[in-house]
Amino acid sequence: MTPRLRHNLVLGISLFLLMAFILAPFYWIFSSSIKSPQEIISATPTLVPHSFTLEHYDKLLNESAFPTYLKNSLLVAVGTMAITVILSTLAAYGLYRLRFPGRIMLFRIILITYAFPGVLLLVPMYQMMSKLKLVDSLESLVIVNVTLSAPFAVWMLQAFFRTIPRELEEAAALDGATRLGIIVRIMLPLAAPGVASIAIFAFIMSWTEYLFSSILIISEANRTLPVGLAGIIGQYQIDWGFVLAGATATTLPVLVLFGLVGRNFVEGLTAGAVK
Amino acid sequence: MREITHDEAPVRRRSNWRAEWFRTETLMGYAFVLPLMLWLAGTILYPLIASVDLSLQNIKIIGSPGEYVGLENYQRALESPDFRDALKNSGVWVVANAVIQTVLAFGAAVILKQRFKGNGIARIWIILSWVVPTVVVVIIWRWLLSASGGVVNYLLVNLGLADKPVGFFSTGNMAFFTVIMINSWRWFPFNAVILLAGLQRIPEELYEAASVDGATTLKKLRYITLPSLQPVLFVMGLIGTLLSFNVFDVIWLLTAGGPSGATTTLPVLIYETAFKRYRLSQAAAMSVITGVILLVFAAIFIRFMSPAADAEED
Repeated sequence: MTPRLRHNLVLGISLFLLMAFILAPFYWIFSSSIKSPQEIISATPTLVPHSFTLEHYDKLLNESAFPTYLKNSLLVAVGTMAITVILSTLAAYGLYRLRFPGRIMLFRIILITYAFPGVLLLVPMYQMMSKLKLVDSLESLVIVNVTLSAPFAVWMLQAFFRTIPRELEEAAALDGATRLGIIVRIMLPLAAPGVASIAIFAFIMSWTEYLFSSILIISEANRTLPVGLAGIIGQYQIDWGFVLAGATATTLPVLVLFGLVGRNFVEGLTAGAVK
Repeated sequence: MREITHDEAPVRRRSNWRAEWFRTETLMGYAFVLPLMLWLAGTILYPLIASVDLSLQNIKIIGSPGEYVGLENYQRALESPDFRDALKNSGVWVVANAVIQTVLAFGAAVILKQRFKGNGIARIWIILSWVVPTVVVVIIWRWLLSASGGVVNYLLVNLGLADKPVGFFSTGNMAFFTVIMINSWRWFPFNAVILLAGLQRIPEELYEAASVDGATTLKKLRYITLPSLQPVLFVMGLIGTLLSFNVFDVIWLLTAGGPSGATTTLPVLIYETAFKRYRLSQAAAMSVITGVILLVFAAIFIRFMSPAADAEED
């Protein structure tokens, strides 16, 4: 065996193991979710389903509160995304494109709020929401999720905003363009991949948030997917087919988004860290 | 006003807009950052101050009246074995997660850095475990590790690695180890893509030059890779530790802190105290103490681990 071949073989095997380690569990819940109840609980697990049924999905969509959870999660995620994009893009433009005293300190404060452990806010946040009469509302979740995602979003935007040459702005200003005009017509289109990646980040953050949702939401009708699913697996007797269908359906929107803009997203994630 | 000659005109116009531009720049800068700062002040700073206030009272359930009791809640927290156990568990949690995730992430980053077909796709989908909701992660692993019908136990028994199905959550140590592994599975790909980005920024020529000089792989790691990665490792070490400390849902949904408190870290204890035992003020005191501990950690970390050259730009 030549060294080159051996290198490729080792690389191929380790790559396969790595990706299987991450992706195989997802295949497993998906393939199990389309098996018949008998096959799911059979003592010998089957890699490829022997039976095929959509009964778990049928139950999920027609006989459970899943559609309500899905709707709530979507509403919260879209609200979080919109506010995060506006607040973070404005702040990022200010921090990375304008020069003013105290800029670096503000940048650091935003970074600190990102690393700030949310669990320390749990009790006072609940108290604040109850004073504002927002407990058990989707608005309360949007407020919390924006706080959790906006600081990191600003950080992610750093790399995207810094790559745009300053001369572009100066040239536009020379031609009489206003600041707002420059932002809307020059900066935003150029920073579009960055804005897309923070939008996805905010969506995912909101889609996965459990800690605050579990205490701020009380009624069944306002539950989001993580809280709703947690309620289902918290029951004594777990109907696995149903739960696995729920997990698959919850993962699906993330897969779609990720398939569309995953590249920008990963770029944005790493850009902040390595500059 | 004298007439502007042709030579002067453009220069003059240019300096005018420049002056105007810079005069408004400071004002605009604050105006752009202000909305976010106000938002964060309202949702982080204000609650933080409110939690100190709350911790000095004896409120049990929100809405019920309380009176100021001084530092009683702090004293009770510091004296309670529950709090000390949770602090210890949090310490174990953070260190174990850091070690396991760093090893896995480094391995993954080295593999992904190689040239192969489809590496662009692999580099994106590797973080799937990090982007799905924790509750999905929990469902996946409860299903895979289930004692009856779980595929992991099926494989372990049939490959002769275990005589009978392993109870992954049955004893305290086993449950803690399992939850740490599951959390590491969720987080290591995220660390891997960050490390990968750091590795890709190291110029290939450095390694080539070192090879010419006869450096071993270990020497290259020690003198090229690690020093170049220092800024990335610093950020990962600081922010990663704080984020890992903050992890609540994966523990809560897998073990609810059990069996008998073995997996109760500080976030779990705070949650339990506030919303299961209804001791809101007590939980606020625990949050404040925890905040101080983390602050001290961050200060020490920054003091001793900061990369030599400040990475901050201009």
